[in-house]
Amino acid sequence: MDLVIGGAFQGKTQWAIHQFGLTEGDIFVCGETGNPDFSHRCITHLENYALACLHLGEPPEAAIFAWQNQWATAVLICDDISCGVVPLSAQERAWREGCGRMLSALAQQADTVTRIFCGLPQRLK
Amino acid sequence: MTILLSGGAKNGKSALAQQLTCSLAGIGPRYYAATMIPRDEEDFARIARHQKEREGLGFTTILCGKSIFHSIINKKYNGSFLFDSVTALLANAMFPGSEPDWAAPKRVEAELLALADWAQHTVFVSDAIYCDTGRYDWLTQAYRQSLAQIDRALAARCDCVAELCAGQVVVYKGALPV
Repeated sequence: MDLVIGGAFQGKTQWAIHQFGLTEGDIFVCGETGNPDFSHRCITHLENYALACLHLGEPPEAAIFAWQNQWATAVLICDDISCGVVPLSAQERAWREGCGRMLSALAQQADTVTRIFCGLPQRLK
Repeated sequence: MTILLSGGAKNGKSALAQQLTCSLAGIGPRYYAATMIPRDEEDFARIARHQKEREGLGFTTILCGKSIFHSIINKKYNGSFLFDSVTALLANAMFPGSEPDWAAPKRVEAELLALADWAQHTVFVSDAIYCDTGRYDWLTQAYRQSLAQIDRALAARCDCVAELCAGQVVVYKGALPV
């Protein structure tokens, strides 16, 4: 599994398309409800999936591992929402923390971890 | 040479940018493209602090709050430019009054790329404002997305791209000259 993270609007998906030879049809965009469709090779906006898990009262860092067999060869892309002021809303605090734990757990399993900054890659793992 | 420096606030971007611009300029002219349009005492104090930091470095300040073509290229200034910051220029251009100027992001991007082509050397300073949890109103999101688009266009154009973190330099592209 290849994990791609970085700030909003940094060009993560575009970089992944180029790097991994993806087509638009390979990409599934997570919403804030429901599960990712892992029949797609690339799952983007996993931060939304983390929020969907929290809506259901499930910790995202555990919930995502229910799909481990399916994402073992996937490209997973997630916005880094870990910086900035601690959010005032309890839901956003839980989201930020859950997303961080999920990314740390995924990064441990990943073959590669890449952070995108201004469209440019930095290999973290 | 063209360099893009970005990163969080107060991580040493401006200080490094000054050092790089002076090094690139050698004995040639160096310009500080000042983008802030001061609105209150806090702004004037910030400008005075930055001016003091540049004292003795030989910079000529060009007020560049709105248009690079008007302030720099049409007046045929050339040499080494410190452009600080992309963030402020976009804010000035996009929010000139009560209504946003939706044509501003493309115009600012084109002007910055034109400066990169025109100038002997340019060091651009921008701000990484993309990694927080805050869910912004649509106008702020449009601003963040526009700034990110400009950052990416500059990063593609520049010879060197680096992020500053606690004064430490993470190079993503090329190599810094100092």
